[in-house]
Amino acid sequence: MPTEMPRSDAPAEQPPTFQDVIMNLQRYWADQGCVILQPYDNEVGAGTNAPATTLRALGPDTWRTAYVQGCRRPTDGRYGENPNRLQFYYQFQVLIKPSPANIQDLYLGSLEAIGIDVAAHDVRFVEDDWESPTLGAWGLGWEVWIDGMEVTQFTYFQQVGGFECDPVPVEIAYGLERLTMFVQGVDSVYDIVWSRGADGVTFTYGDVYLENEREYSKFNFEVADTDFLFQEFTDREAECLRTLEAGLPLPAYDSVLKCCHAFNLLDARGVISATERMAYILRVRTLAKACCASYMEHVVGMRLDAPEGAEGKGADRG
Amino acid sequence: MASTRTLAFEIGTEEIPAFDLKNATVQLPGLMAEALDAVRVPHGDVIVYSSPRRLIAVVDAVADQTEALDEVFRGPSAKIAFDADGNPTKAAIGFARGKGLGVDALERREVDGVEYVFASRHVDAQRTAELLPGVLRGVIEGISWPKSCRWGTTREVFTRPVRWIVALLDDEVVPVEFAGLTAGNLTWGHRFLAPGPHEVPTADELVSVVEAACVVPSQEAREERIRAGVAAAEAATGYRAELPAKTLTEVVNLSEFPTVMMGSFDEEFLRVPEEIIVDAMLMHQRYFPLYDGDGKLTNKFIIVSNGDPAQEAVIVDGNERVVAARLYDAKFFYDEDLKRPLEAYVERLDEVVFQETLGTMRAKTDRVARLAALLVEQAQVADDVAADVARAALLAKADLVTNAVIEFTSVQGVMGSYYAAAAGESPRVARAIAEHYRPRFAGDAVPSDEVGRLVALADKLDTICGLFAVGQAPTGSSDPFALRRAALGIIAILETGLPVSLSRAVDDALAVYAEAGLDFDVAAVRAQVIEFFTTREKVLLREEGAAADAIDAVLATGVAEPMVLAARVRALESARAAEADTFEDLAVAFARANNLRDPEAGTACDPSLFTAEEAALAEAVDAAEASVAAALAADDYAAALAQLAALRAPIDAFFEATMIMDEDLALRANRLRLLNRFVGVFASLADFGLMSKK
Repeated sequence: MPTEMPRSDAPAEQPPTFQDVIMNLQRYWADQGCVILQPYDNEVGAGTNAPATTLRALGPDTWRTAYVQGCRRPTDGRYGENPNRLQFYYQFQVLIKPSPANIQDLYLGSLEAIGIDVAAHDVRFVEDDWESPTLGAWGLGWEVWIDGMEVTQFTYFQQVGGFECDPVPVEIAYGLERLTMFVQGVDSVYDIVWSRGADGVTFTYGDVYLENEREYSKFNFEVADTDFLFQEFTDREAECLRTLEAGLPLPAYDSVLKCCHAFNLLDARGVISATERMAYILRVRTLAKACCASYMEHVVGMRLDAPEGAEGKGADRG
Repeated sequence: MASTRTLAFEIGTEEIPAFDLKNATVQLPGLMAEALDAVRVPHGDVIVYSSPRRLIAVVDAVADQTEALDEVFRGPSAKIAFDADGNPTKAAIGFARGKGLGVDALERREVDGVEYVFASRHVDAQRTAELLPGVLRGVIEGISWPKSCRWGTTREVFTRPVRWIVALLDDEVVPVEFAGLTAGNLTWGHRFLAPGPHEVPTADELVSVVEAACVVPSQEAREERIRAGVAAAEAATGYRAELPAKTLTEVVNLSEFPTVMMGSFDEEFLRVPEEIIVDAMLMHQRYFPLYDGDGKLTNKFIIVSNGDPAQEAVIVDGNERVVAARLYDAKFFYDEDLKRPLEAYVERLDEVVFQETLGTMRAKTDRVARLAALLVEQAQVADDVAADVARAALLAKADLVTNAVIEFTSVQGVMGSYYAAAAGESPRVARAIAEHYRPRFAGDAVPSDEVGRLVALADKLDTICGLFAVGQAPTGSSDPFALRRAALGIIAILETGLPVSLSRAVDDALAVYAEAGLDFDVAAVRAQVIEFFTTREKVLLREEGAAADAIDAVLATGVAEPMVLAARVRALESARAAEADTFEDLAVAFARANNLRDPEAGTACDPSLFTAEEAALAEAVDAAEASVAAALAADDYAAALAQLAALRAPIDAFFEATMIMDEDLALRANRLRLLNRFVGVFASLADFGLMSKK
């Protein structure tokens, strides 16, 4: 369906579509030696929570990956009525371990790759330290602004699951909708041009996801069965611990993600009081830390003397 | 003296957080000077420069080399240093090792007839260039940061990754090593306007090379540049900008080459309460809002850019879109919030935890309402005021669960006030909701009327008493609930003359907690809270110039009310200033009498045993007792103090003429009784013994 042309100074040259942005980023980071993964097939609140980041940030081995990740944040739903907020949106996630010395320049290069002339804008790195209470993780870094708009989180991981990261990975998380809105110069996420066919047929973000936002906002806030979700949380917690006993951190971690999502939905349904809230976060953190400890033991191959708060020292592994 | 050179040292980094950078520029001069002093390199001034991506120290007149040093140290006596067989003892070996020598190098010399061992040490002159790599590495490692960052595969820490180092002694590169880097003579400029690398020919040119690469390398210069740009924008519009210190510091340290630009937003958004707009601009985007001649917010704002000034149109356009999106959100939230009356949000306060043991904001609201009612009884305000206090106490926290406050936290209270007005609450209730957080910092205004003051008092006192009751009183460095600020706020509110006794209010607050089922030691917590307020008041009095001994003298009489303490200390200080001699003399006399007095002896004097001086003193004490009591009954402490002056002559005469410890025990006991009565006159006023200079 034809959509009104977005504001553009050079009508002859169309700005990149949403999928162009994604594909250009994938190409760019592939050229930097990253493994281009496909989105993880489990509900996550952020690209960081996918195992390719959370678990593979641990241990001494080199790791480089980049992937698109759909993220679910039930409480951010606005029934499709707010042009800037979504309960489901996309991040483009890059994780490189150890962090390269020229990583800021590499990042700026990625902006050029999607058509942003960084010298013609005000690009800034503004202090924004990151902490995930549910993952027992923290890092130091910035949010990146382009002309005042936050488009990326840039973080040097210091600790994950209570383990010190050594070597240190750098994470770059782009907000794909924000970035594309900036590149295309549109003021509503639903006006983003997702694809443009040679015959002029255009699909917008609204064409693809507006109905999704309406339905899921209603589901998250009004419909999701809270008894079912409370039970799911408890069942998944037990399943996680059982899986860990079998020495399988990767499938165990899936249960952590399920717990997180159940918790987020319960939160959106407004049935978790503030006091309970902290208790649930602690339960998730305990599971996440246990998965990280199991990963350190079974995958990284590190003997752990103290399970709680132990620091993984970077013993070399062949 | 060897010749001198200039040392230029630059730590090039990824973007340093604004406040970390400010702190580091304070630390750096001392660190550099101490590091050079520690290796005995004579040097001139250390000048520090900075930008978000670098810390620079330039030191002039750095000596080429250190001076050679001959040192002689005297050790233990020979008797101790050598055993009977003439072999060195542990003492001798230890002494030699301490000076970096073998025991054979010790010499024996006689001093005043006693033989000692001596160690002589010669340190050659050293080339400064050879010492500097270690010195400068130490400087990098010596800067302290609130959080330390590691990166890559190295173990070193800094606030953010270090990416280059320049270290030059005139034109000689000092090869400092840190985190896998070796210092050189290449620096980097502004990330986009003049990236580099740029070669620095000599140390003296480092700063000019950096400046030429579009970096304004000092906080002062960047601030000046920003202020000049703001002034130009003000002149162009006739508006006035607001530059809060915290945001200004951030902005100064968020750009290497700041350029002031002006943007605007759709006037339609001015219908949204201006506090939200200002919060969105200042807190989130670090823009400075512009106000018109009447102090009303306009739709223009100031952006401080780090980009290319030639790209102003593009940069302003981008920033305007960001503001529009945020204001759209703000307006959306505001309109949503207005769909329900403020009271409807009170129930939802049970979703917000006040403190783990003390429960939710809903529970706090109930307690504050109850406490406010008790304060109203004490203050005996008019019925309409009492009704408004009750209403405002119920609604004070309701806005915490509105969308606008969840999104823009700094507007708590203010939004509640808008929502209250929209829901038809009285203007006084609406104002009290906005103002009950006041005073928020030292020097902030207190709530403007009794309603706001009583609600603020109840809210702050509930917080203080509750946290003390659950053992969360502030410690030396940690005061996470800002209880000291809350206590100072309460004192400021009481200073307005609100007729409320703090100790009674504390009793009420603790009783409300006990009623609510909290288990704690009421008497112990009460004592701690009173002591907490007394300490705050003492600090305030010291800050306004009251002498410590005067404060202690009043406190010794058992005063627990901060307002009474303050009034009495001030009166005592001014009486003492007016009649310095009299007070000094009385203090000495009091101290003397107080040392002699014997409580066992009682106060029943036998006038038939009095000498003339004793009779005169007894008469003066009688008169003073009566007049002090009358003045205190009239709550006139200053007048009570003034009565004491009448005691000076009689007590001096008494001490002059009387031998207290007379051998006649009856006379002695009678005199002690008289002294007891003299001391008793002071008891309710101040412990004058503490004010004696002895």
